[in-house]
Amino acid sequence: MAPTQDPNSVGGGAKKDEATLKVPSKDPKKKDEKKDEDLSEEDLELKQNLELYVERVQDPNPELQKAALESMRQEIRASTSSMTSVPKPLKFLRPHYGTLKAFHETMADSDLKKYLSDILSVLALTMSADGERESLRFRLIGTEGDIGSWGHEYVRNLAGEIAQEYTKRQSEEASIDDLMELVQQIVAFHMKHNAETEAVDLLMDVEDLDLLLEHVDKTNFKRTCNYLTSAARYLPGPDDMLVLDISYMIYMKFEEYPNALQIALFLDNTQYVKQVFTSCTDLLKKKQFCYMIARHGITFELDDEMVADDDDREALQDIVNNTKLSEGYLTLARDIEVMEAKTPEDIYKAHLLDGRASSGASVDSARQNLAATFVNAFVNAGFGQDKLMTVPSDSTTGSSGNWLFKNKEHGKTSAAASLGMIQLWDVDSGLSQLDKYFHSNDNPIIAGALLGVGIVNCGIKNDCDPALALLGDYIDKEDSSVRIGAIMGLGISYAGSQNDQIRNKLSPILNDAKAPLDVIAFASLSLGMIYVGSCNEEVAQSIIFALMDRSEAELGDALTRFLPLGLGLLYLGKQESVEATAEVSKTFNEKIRKYCDMTLLSCAYAGTGNVLKVQDLLAQCGEHLEKGDIHQGPAVLGLAMVAMSEELGVDMEIRSLERMLQYGEQNIRRAVPLALGLLCISNPKVTVMDTLSRLSHDTDSEVAMSAIISLGLIGAGTNNARIAGMLRNLSSYYYKDMSLLFCVRIAQGLVHMGKGLLTLSPFHSERFLLSPTALAGIVTLLHACLDMKPIILGKYHYVLYFLVLAMQPRMMLTVDENLKPLSVPVRVGQAVDVVGQAGRPKTITGFQTHSTPVLLAAGERAELATDKYIPLSPILEGFIILKENPDYREE
Amino acid sequence: MPTVSVKWQKKVLDGIEIDVSLPPYVFKAQLYDLTGVPPERQKIMVKGGLLKDDGDWAAIGVKDGQKLMMMGTADEIVKAPEKAIVFAEDLPEEALATNLGYSAGLVNLGNTCYMNSTVQCLKSVPELKSALSNYSLAARSNDVDQTSHMLTVATRELFGELDRSVNAVSPSQFWMVLRKKYPQFSQLQNGMHMQQDAEECWTQLLYTLSQSLKAPTSSEGADAVKALFGVNLQSRLHCQESGEESSETESVYSLKCHISHEVNHLHEGLKHGLKGELEKTSPALGRTALYVKESLIDSLPRYLTVQFVRFFWKRESNQKAKILRKVDYPLVLDIFDLCSEDLRKKLEAPRQKLREEEGKKLGLQTSAKSGSKDSDVKMTDAEASANGSGESSTVNPQEGTSSEKETHMTGIYDLVAVLTHKGRSADSGHYVAWVKQESGKWIQYDDDNPSMQREEDITKLSGGGDWHMAYITMYKARFVSM
Repeated sequence: MAPTQDPNSVGGGAKKDEATLKVPSKDPKKKDEKKDEDLSEEDLELKQNLELYVERVQDPNPELQKAALESMRQEIRASTSSMTSVPKPLKFLRPHYGTLKAFHETMADSDLKKYLSDILSVLALTMSADGERESLRFRLIGTEGDIGSWGHEYVRNLAGEIAQEYTKRQSEEASIDDLMELVQQIVAFHMKHNAETEAVDLLMDVEDLDLLLEHVDKTNFKRTCNYLTSAARYLPGPDDMLVLDISYMIYMKFEEYPNALQIALFLDNTQYVKQVFTSCTDLLKKKQFCYMIARHGITFELDDEMVADDDDREALQDIVNNTKLSEGYLTLARDIEVMEAKTPEDIYKAHLLDGRASSGASVDSARQNLAATFVNAFVNAGFGQDKLMTVPSDSTTGSSGNWLFKNKEHGKTSAAASLGMIQLWDVDSGLSQLDKYFHSNDNPIIAGALLGVGIVNCGIKNDCDPALALLGDYIDKEDSSVRIGAIMGLGISYAGSQNDQIRNKLSPILNDAKAPLDVIAFASLSLGMIYVGSCNEEVAQSIIFALMDRSEAELGDALTRFLPLGLGLLYLGKQESVEATAEVSKTFNEKIRKYCDMTLLSCAYAGTGNVLKVQDLLAQCGEHLEKGDIHQGPAVLGLAMVAMSEELGVDMEIRSLERMLQYGEQNIRRAVPLALGLLCISNPKVTVMDTLSRLSHDTDSEVAMSAIISLGLIGAGTNNARIAGMLRNLSSYYYKDMSLLFCVRIAQGLVHMGKGLLTLSPFHSERFLLSPTALAGIVTLLHACLDMKPIILGKYHYVLYFLVLAMQPRMMLTVDENLKPLSVPVRVGQAVDVVGQAGRPKTITGFQTHSTPVLLAAGERAELATDKYIPLSPILEGFIILKENPDYREE
Repeated sequence: MPTVSVKWQKKVLDGIEIDVSLPPYVFKAQLYDLTGVPPERQKIMVKGGLLKDDGDWAAIGVKDGQKLMMMGTADEIVKAPEKAIVFAEDLPEEALATNLGYSAGLVNLGNTCYMNSTVQCLKSVPELKSALSNYSLAARSNDVDQTSHMLTVATRELFGELDRSVNAVSPSQFWMVLRKKYPQFSQLQNGMHMQQDAEECWTQLLYTLSQSLKAPTSSEGADAVKALFGVNLQSRLHCQESGEESSETESVYSLKCHISHEVNHLHEGLKHGLKGELEKTSPALGRTALYVKESLIDSLPRYLTVQFVRFFWKRESNQKAKILRKVDYPLVLDIFDLCSEDLRKKLEAPRQKLREEEGKKLGLQTSAKSGSKDSDVKMTDAEASANGSGESSTVNPQEGTSSEKETHMTGIYDLVAVLTHKGRSADSGHYVAWVKQESGKWIQYDDDNPSMQREEDITKLSGGGDWHMAYITMYKARFVSM
């Protein structure tokens, strides 16, 4: 407080429209007189009345005082409704604020003083200087009456001052009880008046969100929770978890189980998930929960506490195990009429290119055939049929074997494994198709068959554990390609399962001095995937020891990067939990130390949007290093991983990556396209597309290669015509460079992945949840792409199959209560942000009406266009169970 | 005895009894009966493990009603094809080159693009290649000097090397010999070899080849190069002052396309180039007088070379300046009206034939349009004849030489190669060759970097800007068999 100043003038600048009204302290009278002339008669009267009241208030007669205060209060209340300008009574009382305040000081404690305090508190709304919080001060000594009666603006102002006062008192460690009482009142007021956001803001400021639970009701809890969950993304450290916790509790309170489950999954809190199951009694709803868990891709065992009936539990577990995924996907494919298998030539569309390229090569090129193998696998993924691998073998030649043998040596591994991709999610037919390759005497083919088994089982769990049964015996075979096939297959099929049996099989390999480096690298990767985000100590120990045992030469090998990556995956999204391991990594050989550091940091904070970590990583990228240091690659990828979780962060990141392209060293420029690819995966933003298209012609062939792969990633599963056109032109531009052409082909395969029915985006449920296994798959591929030549262009091209972890149908399939597909009309349109909006705002815009099953593109949302059914989940993605609406009347 | 169900492919085999006292092999035999999958091909999965033939049921702990999963098919095991597949990556370079469909580029040895583009254009003449391959030391006639011989051999070697390799060829040997034969190409400027005029290189090279390939031993005794490129011109000199007239014949290797401001098209330029004025001593007047010279083509070459006279000596700047004017040239050139009377008569019959053939092709279209009322027989008739003409019009150039009697010149030429120049003067800028392959595709040979081009882009090289513009074009005669 500034006691020497004239209180009448201190308010300047506190309110917007004050500046013009500001009264110079020297001669207020003159100014007032001038003002009087402009006033209408009515206003003049009001003004005179108020002036009279002010005088009477200072009258020694308490009766008169009381009457005057009462009248003043009446006048103020009658006019506080206006939003655009300072209410007239307040305006006219301004010159007297100082007088009243001074008089207030002289008053003895009494009801009258409290009355006056109330009025002063309101007056301070426009008069009090910044940071003095007079409104609050007078409020606290005033009556404890209904604050709402003074109007909304007053309450808001008060809330602001409380927040300031709270921080001050926190630092002074003063009592806050009186404040909290006021908070109670304000929150109650806000919650009743459609201002949930403000209530939440205030409670976050005073760190007492639990209060919310008392005040939410049926009408406002949805908006409240919506605001809470959205705000969580921008909150620092443990606060975000707290906020989500509260919204979980609110959802549980109102039995909004699907939303509660979503938050439980986000928090990765199995206890909460269980609670959702035990609290909910509706079996059908539980089925819907199972679909949601299945989409998230975590391993989850139901017990009899959650579902009492054995048969029901089995049915539910089947859903969690994703056994119906293949069926649903094929339903979608049949509905959209894309069952017809496509050949790589259908994708290349060479006939659209003039003259150039494909000048009728009569000899098979192993590189090109390998590319065709991948294209064929990606395009026909999950359809169970194609035109290269599953052609019905006629008895004489066994023509299905022919394409396999059009691949050379290690290429045959990828070719055999591609059968797994084509049969994706269909374990029964997949295994029987792969069976014949098990009996081959060619090691690469066996390796491919093993990998294929892993791919078929990706995301699918089965009681008999066929993948483990089939692959387990091959882990310790002599041939390292066979071993890698089995190890990688296990990693893919059991990703996220935290299966101890597999750990016991794989861990010894890591510390086996005789094992070749590539086997160790893949074992570490597979363990990382199986224990993704688990922070498992033992696995971490084994990988750390393996890293320490590596010789100087081995540390220089491109494959060594999979060791730190495997370690990083263990802590995917687990934030601080990584710190102990990060400390240990500081003792590593300097060749790998920084790489390990960056990988751990980026994995641990992946999808958190943590701005501080983004800055750390940016600082790493800002350095100009000597040649040979490779840790900036993962740092750039890390930027994308950390920032990818929400739209704003993505946009900011895209801009800062643009800077890095301009000022960064070559090793950074090589990673930037990959980071862009990760940020916009399966989400072809035009600006990013243009940047990548520009980079795809870069003079540095490695930049060009990663840009091309990234073009494939951002367009993955979209059939985006523009990217397809760009890639086609690139295929003729690079028709002579085999490596670049290979990348172009892969990208073409990705763009047409699943004939446009799939997505690689690890985010689902309206971009809220991040599937850890999906992210692990993508990140692994990107790390491999940091050094293309020895890995993807070398003999480890099958790392491309790690993408299968992220492949999911981008569909919305509605099923009836018996889980049979049911076609209903739905509106599909651009999702709009409705956080903090009152009422029931539209959630989509520019929609079209289709009938299910439908495809959902990135940033799209669906809503049911009929009242006949009620969806059991508010998020219309993936499998949705519909219940008949009992209130529905046919018109 | 527990009863289990076994899942196999999409089927579930229910109610199979296991006799736990017998080894699992017996169980597999049971399944063999049901599925037809031989026991050794069966893989039975029990809780993350495979069932061993001699395993112990007790250890496995099968429960009643348990579900097992079986994998296995009676399918044939895949075998590698008996004939191993050959991959492009394993092939030697030569095989790859034939695979590619066009030959390699030439390395620029320092301002040698004029030479590279000349070589690439000339290499596209298969007849020249075959003539060169027949050339040998023995065939060397006495009047050919040593350096000419060396240049001819070097050309042959270079052509051969280009055909064999995939990667760019360095023409250093050829260049050395060329400079030896024609020292003017060794001019230095700032210690670097200077850019030269491609036309000069072209002319000199052809001259040398024509000298050395005269082949005195061959029965025809013809000059191979002259037969391919030579144009006989019949000129009429007319003196306006005295009214004297004389005529002469000469043989040139290329026609000149003079560029003045009236010339917008190659055809006009050619006409312009065949008309000229010269000063000559007139026997009648006894002094030099102005003669008008008008030339007409007397015999047609298989390959007609046209040089755009784009460079002229600019006295002020002391350099060869370039005319940037846009002169269009056609993909198909008809030079009938530049021919002499005699030649025109000879050409008439073949041209008639060619027109008929083309007319038939067009006739098919018109009859198809108007002939909706016509009978179907007529349609098929027209089609059949069109097919026939299609076959006959594709004359194999190789055959053309051997069966001269059957094929005839028509005076119609197709564009096969363009040598372009980019830049403002002949001694600077960049030369590039654009060559049509036998497959019909156009390849741009920009030194060591050949790349595919579209036909419509070839016609865009007509000048009028700073882009590559045609300097020398080569047309190939269209024959008709009679």
